[in-house]
Parts: sequence; structure tokens; C-alpha cells
Amino acid sequence: MTSREFSENDIHLALDGEMPVEERPAFERWLDAHPDMHARSHRFATDRDRLREVLAGVLDEPVPPRLSGVPLIPEDTMKGPPRLLWRSLGAAAILIIGGVGGFILGKVNWGVSVSGENVADRAIAAHILYASEKRHVVEVGADQKDHLVGWLSKRIGVRLVAPDFSGAGYELVGGRLLPSAHRAAAQFMYQDRSGARISLYVVRDPGSHETSFRLLKEEGARAFYWLGNGCGYAVAGEVSENTLLTLANLAYTQLEVAGAE
Amino acid sequence: MDDKRRAILAEIPRLRRYARALLRDREAADDLVQDSLERAFSRLDNWRSGDSPQRWLFTIMHNLFIDQKRRVVRREVLSLSQDVADSMVSPPTQFESVVSREVFEALQAIAPERREALLLVAVEGLTYAEAATVLGIATGTVMSRIARAREELRASLDDAARRRTIRVVEK
Repeated sequence: MTSREFSENDIHLALDGEMPVEERPAFERWLDAHPDMHARSHRFATDRDRLREVLAGVLDEPVPPRLSGVPLIPEDTMKGPPRLLWRSLGAAAILIIGGVGGFILGKVNWGVSVSGENVADRAIAAHILYASEKRHVVEVGADQKDHLVGWLSKRIGVRLVAPDFSGAGYELVGGRLLPSAHRAAAQFMYQDRSGARISLYVVRDPGSHETSFRLLKEEGARAFYWLGNGCGYAVAGEVSENTLLTLANLAYTQLEVAGAE
Repeated sequence: MDDKRRAILAEIPRLRRYARALLRDREAADDLVQDSLERAFSRLDNWRSGDSPQRWLFTIMHNLFIDQKRRVVRREVLSLSQDVADSMVSPPTQFESVVSREVFEALQAIAPERREALLLVAVEGLTYAEAATVLGIATGTVMSRIARAREELRASLDDAARRRTIRVVEK
């Protein structure tokens, strides 16, 4: 009566609606005759129902404005800034709605910003190079902090501060001027009591739009980075993500205040 | 033009469901949806009238998802690790039941290309032929990916259930 032999593959075909109707009765009989296959078929169906059930809720969620409001833009104007701007507007909305908790969350984003990633990459490279220095870790020491900040602000072209990380246990060691793809970058180096070092890297990037905090992990070190105020920023180190994020938040807040003055 | 736009916007809930299942993280998923919509609107001419908007949009999303996976493999660009994020904030909107968390975690454990095939067919209801078009692969490949994905899903869910049992026993 059966025109063909069934196999495990047929369980998937039947489950996914790919089996011709006329084959179904024979398939059902085959399942009944093979308890292991029957159990398997039942289990796959159960798992599928769980999948559907867990995911069903998404359909009922209100669509976020950043998705329902995606503008119709001709392709030739789609490059770069408008896209980023649109996304940062979404991030800004989250920021405003969410208060402090939302602030942190809104600052965390999975998207990839190419220029921000470059900043983070250079920050990590510079950190690895100089944090391991014993005698020449900085060009200008913290004992000449005012001079250091004034000098780097002038060379970078924005008003900088060397953020105070003492609340998180890190004290300023000093800083240095670095080249960053035809621009000047500043590096402020900090150290905790155990001698662990982290650094803040700043480079001017006038074309950039504000982004959320992102994390770049590379061999040896990691960095939280973000764009804003016409600059790219990164806090790099070998410390935990938690510590690094705390420092990034401190830096963000203090630099924001300085930029607004 | 307006009809096309409306047709595309009507697909957003399903695009979000698919993206969430692929990526788990809500913000990352909505980023993927947003990128897909932007690309769709910039290439409306590529959409042949008569074609299902859903399949066209799934194809766009598949391409972006695969690009993203490649980038992440090349260099690990991540948001906060889940542990860190959990320790900082636990917004009520991100509440997940144990079952839901286990399912999402099990999905993430499946290789991305198999995850896509399983979700398109088992959740989004595409036929093998439709999924094959979206993913740019042969129909037979769709089936073998789904078969492996189901085995992996089952194993992951079993592991999770076992871990849960052990935790209960230890209490």
C-alpha cells in the first residue's frame, strides 16, 4: 500500500507542511509502527509550539517610532550622516524617556559605527603601547595638569578636561599627544593603587554624530567608545567591562559638562 | 509609492519578531529592522510588484544579518555582556520568563544559518522553496539545515531543563 519508505526526513516534511496530502495516511501509519520516530515527531512539534509561543508576544508590541518613522530617502543621499542622525535620534528618545536606567541602556547599542570603531581601535593600540611603559608612560605628568589639559585642548581643537576618576579609584598619571590618521589625538593615562592602568583617548571628528556607548574587544585590551560633541572618545584598558563602563560614564558626564561651558 | 510604503510598514511586526528571534537583544534586533527598512526604501525599484513584501524584506534582512555576523566574527564588537547589563539595569520591559529565556538561549546556540532556516519555516511559515529563495540556497539545503537546527534546539532545551532540575535539587 505504501508507495515509498519513510525516514526521519519525512518528520520534518510533515511538520513543515511539505508532505503531499496523499502520503500523510501512510506516514501516520509508519509513525505508529515506529515509536522512536513517533516520539521524535511529537518532540519537534512541541519545540516548534514553544518557539511560536515565546515569539508571539513580539507581534503585539507597539512598533517603536524609530521604525514606523523611517523616512523615504533616495539611495544617493543615503550615505553616512542621515542614517546615523536618524539612529541617534532614536537613541536620544530612549535617553529622554528612560531616565538614568534608560540612559545607561540607551547608551548601549549593538550597531557598528565604522568611525567609532576606528577610534576604539587606535585607543586600544595606544593603550597597549604606553600603559606597559615603566618610565615614559606619559609625556606630561599630572603634576603639570593645567598645562597638560591646556596644551592638549589647543592641539586637539576642543576644550578638554582630564576627567576625575578618583571616585572609581583611578588617579591621573598624565597624558600625551598622539597622531591619529592625520589628526591629533589626546591620551590621558590613569592608574589605580594596584598599578592597573586605563586610558582615555580623544580625537576630534567634526563630521560625527552622537552615538551610544559601544564595546570593542581586542586581543589584550578592550574599550568603550562613543562619538559626540564633534569628537570620538574611547576608554581603554585591560580591566573588567563593568569598571570600564563606570569610567566611560564618568568621562562622558564630565566631558559633556566641559563641552557645554 | 505610498502603497508600497504602506505594504512595507505593515510587515514591521513580523520583521521585528524574526529579528528578535535571530539576535535576541531587543535593541540589536530593532537596529537590524531599521537597517532593513532603510535599505528597502532606498531600493523600492528592486521590488517587483506582485512579489510578497514579506519575502523581499526577509531577503534584505538576511543579507544584512549575514554581513553583520561576518563583521562580528572578524572582530568582536559587542554590546555589554549580558551579565554586566543584567547587573546594571533590569527594566521591566525586558522581563523574560524562564521558559522564554531558555528558548532564546537555545536559539542563540544554533548556528546563524541554521537558525534562519528554522525560523523562516517553523515560525514565519514560509515554504521550503520560499525560504530557499530568501536565503539564496537550494531547497534541499533548507531541509538539512532545519533538521540539524531542530536537533540542536532539542539538545539545548534538554540541557537547560537539566540545569534547572539540578538547581532545584540543590536548594
